Amino acid sequence: MANSVPVWWDEQAAGATNMGADEALVAEAVARGMLLVRLYGWQPAAVSLGAFQRFDDARQCSGIASLPVVRRPSGGGAIIHGSDLTYAAAVPKHHPWGSSPQRLYDAFHGAMVEALAGWKIVASLHPAAGPATPAAASAQEPFLCFDRRAVGDVVMPDRRLGREQAPPAKVMGSAQRRLEGAVLQHGSLLLTANAAASGSAQHPGIQELAGDGVEIPAIKDLVSRWLELVATSLGASVALQTGSFAGAARSEVDRLAERFGQVRWTARR
Amino acid sequence: MAADLKFAKSHEWLRPEAGGLVTVGISSYAVEALTDLVFMQLPAVGKKVKAGESIGEIESVKAVSDIYAPVSGEVVEVNTALPSHLETLGKDPYGDGWIVRIRPDNPHEADQLLNQAAYDALVAGQSH
Repeated sequence: MANSVPVWWDEQAAGATNMGADEALVAEAVARGMLLVRLYGWQPAAVSLGAFQRFDDARQCSGIASLPVVRRPSGGGAIIHGSDLTYAAAVPKHHPWGSSPQRLYDAFHGAMVEALAGWKIVASLHPAAGPATPAAASAQEPFLCFDRRAVGDVVMPDRRLGREQAPPAKVMGSAQRRLEGAVLQHGSLLLTANAAASGSAQHPGIQELAGDGVEIPAIKDLVSRWLELVATSLGASVALQTGSFAGAARSEVDRLAERFGQVRWTARR
Repeated sequence: MAADLKFAKSHEWLRPEAGGLVTVGISSYAVEALTDLVFMQLPAVGKKVKAGESIGEIESVKAVSDIYAPVSGEVVEVNTALPSHLETLGKDPYGDGWIVRIRPDNPHEADQLLNQAAYDALVAGQSH
């Protein structure tokens, strides 16, 4: 089926393995000429740096200093993984869904807002801010992804007691790497506050933000509905794969993971 | 736009200069597609590059993209002012927004790149 989107839901893995698997996913997307999606978790909890971020900043960031660090090929801010659901979407660059960066963001983020609404969980897309100069935009970017706001990020009002006046909190962000032949989009959905982080590095997830009396869906139900809506917005259907992508491509994933596990890569900036 | 520009399919432009050098930048289409640029990393002067090889990276608010060498050769000059003034890429992508100057290994390698009309057709195809 031409407009089918194969999706794998992989087991939790360490950072380097996850990055290696995503690089293998890109190669597979190019070979198949179609959008592929991989969902996964992280074990142990870890910090993933955006492509341009400084390794020293991770080591100096209060509340996460002891966590293992891996560098993503994609942009954006650092993410503390462990209580999030991460996705990687890979699509050939000249595929209709790969030609515009915003198209994939809109599909994945808009669908999450709609999916959450199905459980009466209020979320929205962060609106566009006024124009900023590149230098100003760069200088003002916080280190952690969930402290940043970009147009289209999924945000939720803070319904925790005493936090009603707080600005909406980000629960989902994504960033891309535009490679020569493909686009890799990484995204993270913060399900609950990450116990591996502390202080200001710990952000509330959907569970905390939804407030008392709101039924939080089982993750598999939420993801199932989300993917269905992603596919609908792209005019496609989901084809959930049996088994794991990383498991099926184990030797290639292990080979690619080697680079992501090296200090030379992680501390290259 | 100068008629002597050549383009790579990966959206870099190249302009022949006096003394056998070529100036390289990225097209206005690429700059617009990236949107909201925040960071850029350039190669070191003296770096040997091969055509199609990454010579730098550029980050927008939501994406990181590589900049590819359109021809093989040696990087002889880098626009070091550019990373601090990324807005120049949008204002003048074919002038002050130049990125590197390369001394090509083969002066005829650029002949294989796209001319303006062919590049415009490529972009038109990608925009639909």
